Amino acid sequence: MSKPIVVGVGADGSGSAAVLAAARVASMMGTSVVVVFGYESSAMGPRGGSLTAEVATLGESAVGDAAAAIAAVYPELSVETELVPDRPVESLIRVAEARDAEVIVVGHGGRGPLRGALLGSITYEIVHRAPLPVLVIPDTENSA
Amino acid sequence: MTNAVLDHAPSKGLKAGALGLVATTVIAVASTAPGYSLAAGIGGINEAAGIKAPFIMLLAFIPMGCIAASFYYMNKADADCGTTFAWGTRAFGPSAGWLGSWGLIVADLLIMPNLAGVSGQYLLLLFGAESAAENAVYVTLIGCAFILAMCWICWKGIELSARTQVLLLGTELLILTIFAVVAIARSFGDGVTRVVDGVEYSSVSPSLSWLTPGGLSTSAIAAGLVVAVFAYWGWDTAVSVNEECEDSNRTPGIAAVMSVFILLAIYVVTSFGTQAFLGPDFVVDHQGDAVYAVGKEALGGFFNKLLIISILTSAAASCQTTILPATRSMLSMGSHGAAPSILSRIDRTTLTPALSTWLFGAVACVWFVGLALISGGDMLIADYNVYWSSIAAVGLAIAFYYGITGYACVWYYRKYLLKSAKNFVLIGALPLLGAGMLTYVFVKTLIDAASESYGYGKTLGIGSVLFIGTILLVLGLPLMLWCRRRFPAFWRITPDPVATVPDPYGDQGPAAPLGTYRKGE
Repeated sequence: MSKPIVVGVGADGSGSAAVLAAARVASMMGTSVVVVFGYESSAMGPRGGSLTAEVATLGESAVGDAAAAIAAVYPELSVETELVPDRPVESLIRVAEARDAEVIVVGHGGRGPLRGALLGSITYEIVHRAPLPVLVIPDTENSA
Repeated sequence: MTNAVLDHAPSKGLKAGALGLVATTVIAVASTAPGYSLAAGIGGINEAAGIKAPFIMLLAFIPMGCIAASFYYMNKADADCGTTFAWGTRAFGPSAGWLGSWGLIVADLLIMPNLAGVSGQYLLLLFGAESAAENAVYVTLIGCAFILAMCWICWKGIELSARTQVLLLGTELLILTIFAVVAIARSFGDGVTRVVDGVEYSSVSPSLSWLTPGGLSTSAIAAGLVVAVFAYWGWDTAVSVNEECEDSNRTPGIAAVMSVFILLAIYVVTSFGTQAFLGPDFVVDHQGDAVYAVGKEALGGFFNKLLIISILTSAAASCQTTILPATRSMLSMGSHGAAPSILSRIDRTTLTPALSTWLFGAVACVWFVGLALISGGDMLIADYNVYWSSIAAVGLAIAFYYGITGYACVWYYRKYLLKSAKNFVLIGALPLLGAGMLTYVFVKTLIDAASESYGYGKTLGIGSVLFIGTILLVLGLPLMLWCRRRFPAFWRITPDPVATVPDPYGDQGPAAPLGTYRKGE
């Protein structure tokens, strides 16, 4: 079985350019796409229950939208979705390792340079930590 | 802050064990915010209990530790971020859950002015602006900015990494210890005598009798406790979070016990230090900035700056345990259909409850400015009533919702109480003792505070603690009735039938989702 392409999405529509790029790569390589949404609520203070449920709902619609967007352009492509209750970076790396992925595709540009530096950037972290190739796709439009 | 995310990683399998234990303990202690709790509360405790403040610190731990047990067990059945709201509903039905949650929100709201006030004041003191630190306008402005900044952080979902927290908390504890040891050491023997603002204060030699209740009236104990429970507030949250520790079921327990001993030690030692150095009267007379005032006389210069910094970082950590639970409760109520669903709206980028967070911040600012206006700018003077009495009012609200949580635990698990001695003690006796003590403090304080002579003065002719505490708590009733009319579906939920309650030590997992059991179904 050929190695799949793993791509991460955010609930705010970030990474939609990455999703299409992942689909294009997968279609060229004749493999499948796994769309991942990772989420984790605060480590301090209460969590779980309704907050997790609400966030999971958002995540389901995010991966659903991504799968639909791929199907519209590459109807023949096999697409799977995964919701992982962990930090986005951990989620992507975990899924990519578990499925022995070819490459991780992530978006870039959701946060400006200043905000990225202050808040930490998923893209930055994943580029430095992933044990496999990473493809970074600039978000051409910031759809909300 | 880029590395914050990286630092977080080791808890996921790579370096479990030692770091897990330290990090968990640190989170438990940091969310209790010892530095800030002391800065805000020690004056009130000394005022109520005089030289016996260390005893009150010791005593206050009992109900808080007991209630933490109920948090731990209820969290096993339902790890809902609405805590008291979800658990109260499961045990006693929708109205109890709703009102308990209201108590939690009121407590968190009431503490904000104080949190913000202490931050504003200590920030000005850090730069040596002592006169500005007594200027209500400056303190209020900085305080509001602080509240909004904290809401922004909670909205953004920014977290300090475990490593940063270890560093911050380590500094805080070290400085507090130096402060206490120096103050105690200098008060032995002939001690020190200082004239501050024209009043002569002398140190008192520390004595172990400070740890005994001898000579305290029940009213004084209740008045002290209502402030002191606030000092341990926040610890319970860490207990319920720790359940998610990766390694085994031992780490959270050990971490909880360790954090308790750290808190107990630091509170008892620092309360010894603050009052020994120049006597309890000095602490009471400088209630507004007691730790700073003692620190300035005892340490001076560089170390006092460090003391201020650690109180400021502690206050920032404390916001995590006030804003987060309040907004998560609002979210839980909204998403379970017990309050307008707009409260449960999640920001798609930050994945946090945006509206709840900003609503809470806005109301907190209005409340803070309102208090400043009512007080006519006198709010930072030690004997000023409304502002400082709000800490005692927080204690009332905490006693209210912790009480409900404790009773909820005993009643919810009633089927399992007699199953083993361990169950009987940990799930039954301790929560009941904690809830009972808090109920006593609640009722006793209400009765005592009704009189105008109660420590904190009066507002509109009645004791101001009573006024602030009860008005806000009672306001929950009409609000609940309004929600009940608007959201009748939620009020059809019945308490979980006793047969469906999962064994906390069984393998049934958590209870069925809230709302599974309804009238007529």
